[in-house]
Amino acid sequence: MKTAVRTTNLWKIYPQEPDPVEAVQGISTEIETGDFVAMAGPSGSGKTTMLNMIGGLTRPSRGQIWIGDREITEMSDKDLAQLRLERIGFVFQSYNLLPVLTALENAEFTLLLSGIPKDERRKKVLELFNKIGLSGLEDRKPGKLSGGQQQRVAVARAVVANPALILADEPTANLDSKASADLLDVMERLNQDHGTTFLFSTHDPRVMERSRRLITLVDGQIESDERRNHLSVSP
Amino acid sequence: MGHERLWWRVAWRNLWRNRLRTLITASGLAFGYLGAVLVVGVSDGMMVELIENGTRLMLGEVQVHSEDYLPERNMHHTIGGYEGTDLEIFINRITSQEEVSAAAPRVYGGGLLSSGEETQAALLMGVDPDREPRVTTLLSRLVSGRTLVAGANEILVGDEMAEQLGAVLGDEIVVVAPSSDGSLGNDLFTLVGILDTGIPAIDQNYTLLALPDLQFLMAMGPPRIHEVVITVGNAKDSPRIAGALREFLSDSELPVQVSSWTDLRPELAEMVSLMDASHFIIVIVIFGMAAFGVANTMLIGTFERRREFAVMRALGTAPIGIGRTVVYEGIVLGLISLIAGALITWPILVWWHNSPIDLTTVISGFSVAGAQWRPVLRVEYSVQAPIVAALGLFLTSILAAMYPAWKATRVPPADALAD
Repeated sequence: MKTAVRTTNLWKIYPQEPDPVEAVQGISTEIETGDFVAMAGPSGSGKTTMLNMIGGLTRPSRGQIWIGDREITEMSDKDLAQLRLERIGFVFQSYNLLPVLTALENAEFTLLLSGIPKDERRKKVLELFNKIGLSGLEDRKPGKLSGGQQQRVAVARAVVANPALILADEPTANLDSKASADLLDVMERLNQDHGTTFLFSTHDPRVMERSRRLITLVDGQIESDERRNHLSVSP
Repeated sequence: MGHERLWWRVAWRNLWRNRLRTLITASGLAFGYLGAVLVVGVSDGMMVELIENGTRLMLGEVQVHSEDYLPERNMHHTIGGYEGTDLEIFINRITSQEEVSAAAPRVYGGGLLSSGEETQAALLMGVDPDREPRVTTLLSRLVSGRTLVAGANEILVGDEMAEQLGAVLGDEIVVVAPSSDGSLGNDLFTLVGILDTGIPAIDQNYTLLALPDLQFLMAMGPPRIHEVVITVGNAKDSPRIAGALREFLSDSELPVQVSSWTDLRPELAEMVSLMDASHFIIVIVIFGMAAFGVANTMLIGTFERRREFAVMRALGTAPIGIGRTVVYEGIVLGLISLIAGALITWPILVWWHNSPIDLTTVISGFSVAGAQWRPVLRVEYSVQAPIVAALGLFLTSILAAMYPAWKATRVPPADALAD
């Protein structure tokens, strides 16, 4: 199995008085392509910092990160942006849709950046919207969508360009149980259909339960790393 | 390109997220535009007023003399020397030039005026009563009496001179003046009019006689004149027109000197240049203030959208793309402001140009650099000033967006997402 993400001796230290904060302390791990991985742990355990470093949104203090076969820690901001555009999708806890764009425009954002022609963009987004239950909501601005709908648009935005890796930071934190289950269904389906690798940070037992691998972080270190053998999409 | 349309769309919609703030900022820029154009217009109006009053009253816009007449103003140095020149041919030759509106000959002398017991030194100026009103407004400044009739031994004096002489209309005034043949000419003239130019140096010292009468008094034949005064379409073009005329007259047998009002009244020209330069400073100050206002607003907007910029970065937008959305907001804001500015500025400009504001009830006129300024606020406009101001406004809005744009590109995505 190919490796989607690899980190070696990864550290993130925030300079702070009187003592620096060691948010991530020498984490080395690998995530296989097509895996569905949850990173759990209490607040401040380093989950979000790990996701941000893997996504190139913040640079590690020490250590190395490979996305596929590319080592990213020395890349320029511009190259990192291009790498994210081509290979990584993000889903955030608070959806983070761009409020001036419609649901459809938000979802097609990365396709637009990639220079995909309008007809092709629209076709892809509409198909995806249809698949994840967003049909008819294309022209709504984020403020006119429910939390669950917004998060589904965010997922659509993350997956529409078929990235190899989706990084999802507490994606169900602001959703009720029904919306959470629906969202997880959508993500599992995308994982199965497209072989997209998912890496979540989460507190949510429902996400942990449905992951195939659960990495637990405590104080910036891996406390446990267990593989789980079930995958169940809600009917 | 797809991106470009996206950035423009994002910029446009962002501007309207906070309509009130955008409208206030755009209004600030639009009123800045109005202010800049009006300041330049009023200043131009004052300049034109100064130039017109400095030239139209007596100086004219271009003058022709014998090449050695200035600066001493020796009475013997007439155009064409002692022989003089055929006045009609010479004047017609000058007025044949396309940009010359009119020309009038003059003779100058110095002498003494006596009326009753009073005697005053005076500058004598011989004018052609028919041609002079076409080049200057001097003869229109009569406050009593009438203008001169050539060959009738009539005289006009300034109101202050009349007061000093104790002379009233109809009085006989003795004029004594050195003649070109070395004798002392004297004759009796009738006071037919009193002038009030508002400029003490003229009203106290100048005395006007008909050209042939002064030539006769100074024993100079009709072909002999000291000066031809010329008026042109636009006083600001005088140096160029004087240059062209100089070249044109250099073909003739007469060695002449052609001077524009800027040569003859350098202090007035310097004053005009100073006012011109001050426009630039005033416009820079106005747009500088506007720039800080826009930059402040856009910085606040940028700060409020840190998280959005971080999301855009996370989705694969290069830093330059983030900066572009902010600069494009500046451009769109500039365009909106420009349209609003033009819509409020032009009607005011045209109205003010056509209806100058008369302040004579509030302040009296005064003279600046020897030119009288009437307390009338008029606005002059050209195509140039509004275009320069428009470019200024546009550049202001773009430059004001640069720093916020740069700040936006520097937003650390992970930190902004955690905010």
